[in-house]
Order: sequence, then structure tokens, then C-alpha cells
Amino acid sequence: MSAPRLSAAPVDRHAAVGLARGNDPTEQGARARRFASSGPAAWMLTALSLLAGVAAWAIASRLLDLPLFPSPLQILRALAEMLGNGVLVADIAVSVRRIAIGFVLGCAVGIPLGLAMGLFPLVRAFCDPIVQFLRFVPPIAWLIPAIMWFGIGEVSKIAIIFYMTVFLVLLNTMSGVAAIPRNQIRSAENYGVTGWQLFAWIVFPATVSYSVAGARIAMGNSFAAVVGAELIAADAGLGYRIVDSGQWMAMDQMFAAMLVLGALGIAADRIARLVTARWLRRYVRESEHGA
Amino acid sequence: MGPEATRAPDGAARAGNIGVRHVTFAFGGAPAVLEDLSFDVASGEFFVLLGPSGCGKSTVMNLIAGFEHPTKGSVIAGGRNVDVAGRDRVVIFQDSDSLYGWLTVRDNVAFPLRVLGVTARERDERAVAALKLVGLQGHEGKYPAELSGGMKQRTQLARALVLDSPILLMDEPFAALDAQTRSILQDELVQISVAMRRTVLFITHDIGEAILLGDRVGIMRAGPASSIKETIPIELPRPRRRGSVEFGALYERIHQSISEEVQRALRREDSLLK
Repeated sequence: MSAPRLSAAPVDRHAAVGLARGNDPTEQGARARRFASSGPAAWMLTALSLLAGVAAWAIASRLLDLPLFPSPLQILRALAEMLGNGVLVADIAVSVRRIAIGFVLGCAVGIPLGLAMGLFPLVRAFCDPIVQFLRFVPPIAWLIPAIMWFGIGEVSKIAIIFYMTVFLVLLNTMSGVAAIPRNQIRSAENYGVTGWQLFAWIVFPATVSYSVAGARIAMGNSFAAVVGAELIAADAGLGYRIVDSGQWMAMDQMFAAMLVLGALGIAADRIARLVTARWLRRYVRESEHGA
Repeated sequence: MGPEATRAPDGAARAGNIGVRHVTFAFGGAPAVLEDLSFDVASGEFFVLLGPSGCGKSTVMNLIAGFEHPTKGSVIAGGRNVDVAGRDRVVIFQDSDSLYGWLTVRDNVAFPLRVLGVTARERDERAVAALKLVGLQGHEGKYPAELSGGMKQRTQLARALVLDSPILLMDEPFAALDAQTRSILQDELVQISVAMRRTVLFITHDIGEAILLGDRVGIMRAGPASSIKETIPIELPRPRRRGSVEFGALYERIHQSISEEVQRALRREDSLLK
């Protein structure tokens, strides 16, 4: 007996995968891609997507009619009120400051340490076991000890963001060093480049795209980490606002804070893209890291 | 133009000479890749090293470049023992990944001058001149990722030429290119090497390319423990054409010699499998 066929009709799997990724190889697909990436059309599609999200939320709140499911309008009203009385602005400032400090410190330690681990086998052999161990202990697991050691103020939150950033940036930078083509090093040696020149002119620029990729992932995760930290113990910040509003059943305020969180995340990613495109384009051009 | 036109003028320094003397090379404790390899390349000569895949051609280049060191024997370039990599022997790699992706074409070509401490203005002028020589004028501001394979190899060539190094070491530089681009670059390389009187050690496994380019062709034995089997002078006038009777006769002769080596390698592999 022959083996049973898995599907009755032949399926072009490559085409299916391509369509799923928005890479429809047909002429029709190419036209759609061109249309979607043109300026006005892209704006229109973004606006439609957001409108569809709001509409779906509005319909759900109307249909389900739950007392704790505010409508978009109620959330917007709460948002306006919280922005007006300055509560939300203060929360945003607190959370963004925590993220910024932790992120910058994480990059400041992660990039040099990643470069050193990539360049020097002894440093790598010494640091790798502890790095490999700690990367599997998530930041959230350190929340309680961090709060116990550093209190509910700034230091514990910044420490969590730092911890999360440092490993992502370090491991990416280290793999960037490993990925430098041997011919690039050899040609530099061929021209007489030695020591610090090799580092400054070849190794560092060759790894920028990897460090940027790690930093961008870390930036995205920072929002989740700071909210996690603020949910558990804080007296200000967006995470604190979410949990505080929830405790008072002020669901409209809670969702308003969540809305701001999402918008901030998008804004941070856009800023990272702009910075990359403006100042780091030459370093990330060849690969898609950080793009 | 005859091959003798590529020789350095009488009285020129021996800066372009290469001497490989009884070189044996093995990676660690592995069997020797090269054994008792000896050959000489005269200053200004275009010498092609031809051999079956895996015979150790690139290892020879790495030894002359100073990237590897002989287990036994010695390598001499410009009258001096080769110890480390040096800008008197510039390498053009098969893969264009030796170009720096974050530098423009002009800055890539100017890079060796930057290492030498040449002023920004002078290195820009010299880089632009070298790029013109390889036909890349108008592409100075592009980045390597924006270039075709042939343009990347031209950039590598320009970067090597900007230094006035007496020796160019080329490791199958056109192997990854399409036939048409390869043919154009081969012609240009001959013109440039004749005009600039550089010593060229060119590695390839393409017999036609070896006859088109070389003043002499060194045929390597199949590895391991490879060495030069025979050296054949190519005394055809330039420009050489693949269709000529003499070209065909040389091709047959070299093909016969390489085929024997390939057969030998296959017999050896068979005996190892039994």
C-alpha cells in the first residue's frame, strides 16, 4: 500500500511562505508591495489599522457590556484628564528616566565587555560561564532581591533595566566580533595595521551593527521590565499607575496608562531607527542587524 | 606585447622577487599540505600557480603573504625573509568580504594610505586615481554593499594598486564572477600589470585563465604533500585569444598534466576508502 498523501491538492509551499511574509513573488504581489510602501498609502494603511483596532475595542466593549471594560471614548477622556492634571506626565518622566539610565549604563558596560570577550580568549573563558548562567535568570527573578537591597526607589528599577540590557548587548557584541570576516583582519594586517588601530579601525566599526541590534532588543524589553518592576513595588511610574488604577477599579485610567506605554514603546523604537538611519547607516548597511 | 614586456627594467631593485625554498607546511600535527616546495618568481613577472582543488595553492599564497609560516624551509620576498604580513606584498582575496562595509569605495581604497599617515587630501587624490585605473570612476561615494561582484573585485584591485607595492598576490580573484565580467577583468589586469610592472602571483584552477594571464604557469601536484610538478613558460604574444591554435595546444598540454594529478588524487582517495 502506498503511503497516504498528506494533502489532496498540490500546494506550493514556497509561495505560501512568501505570501505569509508579504513576499508574494507574482507581478500582482510586486504591485501590492509597491503600493503598500508608497508614502501616502503607507500612512493610510497605518491609520486604517489603528482605526480598526479602536473599532474592534469599541464593538467589544459595547457587545460584552462589562462594567470594567471601558469604551475607547472613556479611555481617551481619562487620558486627557490625566495628561491635563500632570499625573501621567510625571509617571512618564519617571519611567523613561529609569529606562534611559539603565539602558545607557547597560550599553556602557555591555559593549566594552562584549568586545573584550570577543577579542581575548582569556577574558571570554573567565566571563563566559557566569554570563551563560545569568542570561537564563530573567530580570523578573531579580526583582524581589533588588527591591530588598536597594529599596522601592530608583536604584532597584535602574538595576533591573541595566541587568536586562547588559546581557543582550554583550552577547550581540561578542558574536559581532566572532563574525568579522578573517579576510578583513588579514587585509588590515597586510597594510600594516596593528594593536589599537586594528581595534579602532576594524573591530569596533565591524561590530557596531551587532551592538545596535542587541541595544534595540534591549530597548524593547526595557518597557516590559520597568513596568514589571513598578508593578511590584513603586510609588511612581507607568507600571505603578497601572496597578494603582487597577486597585481603585479605575479601568479607564489603567488602560490610558497602558495606551501611553504602547505609544512610548513605538516612539522609542522609531527614535532608535532614526538615530540608526541618521548616524549609523554606514555600519548597519551591509546586514539587516538593527534595521 | 610580449611577456618580456612585463619584466622589470634592468637594474631595478629586487623588490619584486619571490623565492620559495624547500618549503614544507602542515597545520599542527596534520599531514603536510606542502612538501619541499620550491619556485622563484622574477621581479615584474606574472606567475600563475595552477592546480587541482585542495592542492594547497592558497596555502602557498598565505605563506608568501606572511599569514602562515613554513614548518620547514623559507620564503623570501624582495630579498628579505618573510616573517609577517607586509604592505610590500598586497593580497587580493577571492571573497570581497575583505572590503570594509562601513567605508565608501574611496575610503576603502584610501585605507592603506591612512595607515601610512598620508594626509587626507593626498590619499583622496591617490584613491580616485587608482579607482580611475580600474574603471570605477563615478562610484567613489558608494558602499561595498551597493556594488556588483565585479566592482567589488575592482575595488580590491584599486586598494592594492594605491600602495605601489612591488608584489600582488591574487587568490582566485575572479572565481566568483560571471564569465563575461571575468573576461573583462582578466584583460584589464593584464594591461594594468604590464603598465605598472608589478610582480603578480596569481592563483587559479582555471587553465584558460592561466594561459591568458601568465608569463609562466606552475602546475601543482595533487595534495597532500604537494609541490610544483612542472613550470611551463607561456610564450604567446598578447593580447592572447582562446581560439588560437597555440592556445589550444598549450591548453591540451596543461590539461593533460592536471588530469594526471586529479586521477592520482582520486586513486589515493579510493585506496583510503578501501
